[in-house]
Amino acid sequence: MRDGCMSDAELVRRVLAGEVELYRVLVERYRAEFGRYATALLGGDVDEAADALQEAFIKAYDSLASCRQPDKFKAWVFRIVTNQCHNARRRRRLHVRLETIANPASETADEGLDRGEIKKAVGAALEALTEEQRIAFVMKHIEGRSYAEMADLLNVGQDALKMRVHRARDEMKRRLEGVV
Amino acid sequence: MTARDRFHPDVQRYLDGEHVEGVAQRDIEEADRFATAMHTYGAGIGAPDARVDAAVMEAVRTRRPSHEGGSFWQWLVRPHQVRVRPALLAAASIALIALGGAAVSLLPRSVGPAGADAAPTVLVRFELRAPEASSVTLAGSFNAWSSDRIELQQNTATGVWSGTIQLRPGRHEYSFVIDGERWLPDPMAHAQVDDGFGQVNSVIVVGPRGVVRS
Amino acid sequence: MMPRLHILPMLGLLSALALAVVPAAAQESGIAAQLVARGAPADFADRVAQIVASARADALPTEPLEFKAQEGWAKRGRVPPERVLAVLQQLVGRLEQGRDVLRDAGLDASGPVVVGAAEALGRSLTPEQIRDVVRSAPDPAAAGTGLTVAALLTAQGLPAAAAARAVSDAYRSGRGPEEILEFPSTVADAMARGERMPDIGQRIMQGGMLGSPGGGMGGAGSGGHGGRPPGMPGSKQGTKTQSNKP
Repeated sequence: MRDGCMSDAELVRRVLAGEVELYRVLVERYRAEFGRYATALLGGDVDEAADALQEAFIKAYDSLASCRQPDKFKAWVFRIVTNQCHNARRRRRLHVRLETIANPASETADEGLDRGEIKKAVGAALEALTEEQRIAFVMKHIEGRSYAEMADLLNVGQDALKMRVHRARDEMKRRLEGVV
Repeated sequence: MTARDRFHPDVQRYLDGEHVEGVAQRDIEEADRFATAMHTYGAGIGAPDARVDAAVMEAVRTRRPSHEGGSFWQWLVRPHQVRVRPALLAAASIALIALGGAAVSLLPRSVGPAGADAAPTVLVRFELRAPEASSVTLAGSFNAWSSDRIELQQNTATGVWSGTIQLRPGRHEYSFVIDGERWLPDPMAHAQVDDGFGQVNSVIVVGPRGVVRS
Repeated sequence: MMPRLHILPMLGLLSALALAVVPAAAQESGIAAQLVARGAPADFADRVAQIVASARADALPTEPLEFKAQEGWAKRGRVPPERVLAVLQQLVGRLEQGRDVLRDAGLDASGPVVVGAAEALGRSLTPEQIRDVVRSAPDPAAAGTGLTVAALLTAQGLPAAAAARAVSDAYRSGRGPEEILEFPSTVADAMARGERMPDIGQRIMQGGMLGSPGGGMGGAGSGGHGGRPPGMPGSKQGTKTQSNKP
């Protein structure tokens, strides 16, 4: 008896064979996993992250036939999501002011003033990182991924990733002086 | 940057999860505060919800007509991508009420051949990999579509939810329900069919000897 | 001496009469009561009951309507009540169409067959394909099963003609509905092993049958099954069945 969970590769194969509805299973799987990543990359804007994810999954579907390694679907989609977030950032003004950064829906009226301020400050500090640093930092500290996972998803060596994360941390520390 | 602006290399390794010795307690605490603040930030920013899934599937369906070439999904066709923003979602749900003639293609049925009242039920196993879910239930024609009665059990190591129920031979229509609100098709079903409401139900046909699913 | 009234038989007759009068209403209120018990508004439940009662009065099978109403209510987070009612009306229309296809050819139009015919119509089987399945079946119940399976085979990707043919050929060669019920599993298994639907469909149309060595499953690439259809005792595929595991 085959294992209960259907692998990405199997789902991709079946979607390509015509079972379009099964694509939803892949979307559900990775929307949940990459959602926070996209939101963090887009300064905490959940709506913008939703748009980016939506475009990414549609693009992924459109070129599903050219996903040469269906068992690497996750990393493949991850790169499309990252690219989509990159495009979104380019489209909008990156000149983000400290007080306008967060998604209003996540305003922390209920939380203590401290948490709200920390959220704004962290969001602003992330915006100041380079793209590579921001991605690496978000994966390490917001998503809690291991360097091995990161290396697999980004197709970058662990040493290089560590360097990006270390530099990002220093930059974050500097910008968050007094807040954290 | 002064030295205080940077994390000590040993603290960097500490933050990387490595075991380090001889690091000042003050530096450890500072590093922990930093990591906690980042974690708090992550926990507080939220993430897109399942409306993304629905919007993606609507767009994806318009790209791929059914095998039969019939109007299976025509009534969902849109000339433009649906954006997820809430205001537009409301407009979308109103538009979906207009039904075409071929909207509902398969009828719900949970019985086998007449005389199957005497047919013994068969044990059928359902499985779904959903490591992020808090609960997974099964709703279908066999239980009057109650979304909170048949609970699957999770194997925390694999993230696979599973359960076995007794079904009569014949056709059964059903769906998984994730966290009480997201309805998800079963990749291991025989087929997915239009539910008439803009989503999809899974269908299996149970024979007297059970079900073979890939 | 006064003649004794036979009380008990009288009571029996009266209660039988009472039961004869009550059932329609009681059955009609079944789905309404159930919906209300699950929190549905009374007017919605009543309108559902009206649709079901009207269908019953028209001698249409009502179980699909009740199931769809239950489903619509269960999905109320996404489905407005008006939508549910509209879908139910569509179902009634589809059931009527199914019945017409059967009656127009003088075929049995009992409940299970009508449901099967409606399903098959929804999957684009032609009236002739539907009638052929019905004529090939040993009895009405088997006809209903055959149509349901043919409809599902098309949902799995088989062209309508091949799906109808698979079922009618099987019935004509003496197979029973229990074996027909195995077809979707057989097809799913073949697809999992990499066989493609066009190939399966083609083999069926060329005269092979699902579940036989010359037919859709035991052919090229799978090493044969020694003449026994998959899933039957003695076949090599017995281990793939997912049933009967506690």
